[in-house]
Amino acid sequence: MRITKNTWVLLLILLAGAGWVAGDSAYFRPKPIAFKVPKGWPRPVYDFSKNPLTEEGFALGKKLFYDGRLSKDGSFSCGTCHQQFGAFNTYDHSLSHGFNNAFTTRNAPGLFNLAWQKDFMWDGGINHLDLQPLAPITAENEMAETLENVITKLKADKEYRKLFKAAFGDETINTQRIGKALSQFMLQLVSSNSKYDKVKRGEASFILPEQLGYQIFLQKCASCHTEPLFTDYSYRNIGLKMDDVLKDPGRMRITNRSEDSLKFKVPSLRNVAMTFPYGHDGRFFSLMSVFEHYRKNMVVSATTDPLFRNKLALSNYEIGQLTAFLYTLTDSSFLKDPRFAAPGANNNTKPPIDIHR
Amino acid sequence: MKYPVYTLVLLTLILTGLNFRQPGPITAPAGKLRLVFHHQVGKDPLALGTLCRNGLGDRITIERFKYYVSHFTFTDSKGRQWKPDPQYFLIDEEIPDSKIITIQVQDIDIRQIGFLLGVDSAKNVSGIQTGALDPLKGMFWTWNSGYIMAKMEGTAERSPSPGHRFTYHIGGFRFGMNTAREIRLTIPQTSQPVREVHIAADIDRWFNGSWQIDLAETPVCHSPGVLAMRFADNYQNMFSIQSVH
Repeated sequence: MRITKNTWVLLLILLAGAGWVAGDSAYFRPKPIAFKVPKGWPRPVYDFSKNPLTEEGFALGKKLFYDGRLSKDGSFSCGTCHQQFGAFNTYDHSLSHGFNNAFTTRNAPGLFNLAWQKDFMWDGGINHLDLQPLAPITAENEMAETLENVITKLKADKEYRKLFKAAFGDETINTQRIGKALSQFMLQLVSSNSKYDKVKRGEASFILPEQLGYQIFLQKCASCHTEPLFTDYSYRNIGLKMDDVLKDPGRMRITNRSEDSLKFKVPSLRNVAMTFPYGHDGRFFSLMSVFEHYRKNMVVSATTDPLFRNKLALSNYEIGQLTAFLYTLTDSSFLKDPRFAAPGANNNTKPPIDIHR
Repeated sequence: MKYPVYTLVLLTLILTGLNFRQPGPITAPAGKLRLVFHHQVGKDPLALGTLCRNGLGDRITIERFKYYVSHFTFTDSKGRQWKPDPQYFLIDEEIPDSKIITIQVQDIDIRQIGFLLGVDSAKNVSGIQTGALDPLKGMFWTWNSGYIMAKMEGTAERSPSPGHRFTYHIGGFRFGMNTAREIRLTIPQTSQPVREVHIAADIDRWFNGSWQIDLAETPVCHSPGVLAMRFADNYQNMFSIQSVH
């Protein structure tokens, strides 16, 4: 076969191209994503300069979030216990199920607005969002896997090598990059489109019970469940009797200070209608039982928050109005946002339905 | 070749393309200092998995012994001090290579070596680190964020815990619970420039130092707090200069 001049030229062009392709780390340009802070919200505490959000980072984070290979037997992904329809809590479960038929020791909280959160877990033991996934991945009663094994499994997968390169510039897979990618996904779980938010933006208005409930909320709840995040991220003892099996001392486990005994993080009330059961160990299956706790069943001890020295007086009428208000905190566009959905989940491509319209 | 211009242009392109893969020039080091760590129980060298007797008379078998060192500072005979860029090393008895570390230093006489046993608090609060500080090294608490500065595990006849084990994971970086310790070692007078320093670490000091720690009473330390602070006060004094070359 006669090799023509054109073939030579083409071959040389290809070679030239290969040189540029091989040197492409200098041309690593992932597509940035701008993080939008909803109007009137405080500045996020997460340092985005150390982990700039990109389309590629988010895509990798999402794949990791829904990948069972992060667990020992392949059956538990982050998404197993953090389900989108429950605002990323474990829907309808007091405690989640882990490896080898184990229970977790605490209720899996919903995941949203994490960019504003400084410490993680009910006791605040984890001080950085990137570090948070390492706890469930390595806990014997959760995903029960070692970080080495996770990395080995990911490295063996060509798809992952491609995704890590797209997100970080080369194929290196390490603990830091796994943490950063998962953060990229979790940081974008922003819930700021509930009816409450629409009312605040002037796009909707409360009906009477919601409006009355909001007034009661401001008077009786807002000092801890502070707007707009509906938590002040403090640790408080709200008079929950210590479970005699779990024997969970809460914040004291981290600080070693007796005054922190039985204190747990104030959870956000956003999406509260979807995040039952409630409490650090999920002991309350309904909002009603939470109200009953506050007004009747509370055990006041030395470390119980001074706000509750006399428990929290709530009339049946107030509970009714408060419930109406709390339902306005459900952000159904967040619960159905296809960007966050598990791969293969039956997420129709229609725009999310908002039950409040 | 009928098209020399084509060929030349394309060759140039190929070479420039390839050129982008070349790393930048590496500047020649000013000097290298080797630090060699030797682990001992009293006078005897540590042998993992071998029965020995500590200073308090306990028969113990050590199975793991590792700790972080970082933030080196060097002082010369005129009292001038300099600090190389911060580097973190995990010294691990199980990995002989980890006990020899090389540091780029300015080529002057060294009279004092300072370092931090442990990891500074800044690195305890800034997410996931890489290299020696990668959490997969088993020196990081995932449930209560922070590094284990030093770790010793083994068995002892008098330990009341399962398998007669003792496990000391010493960590904590917050104010009042900080188990990282500044170490200062003075180099004996020598006329030669220092190239290699052998540093001994005596495990006996963990049990018998500023505090006496009884294995039978406290076989386990797994969290920041008073006991961890006592171990830290003790291991602060475990190092000594063995020889200088």
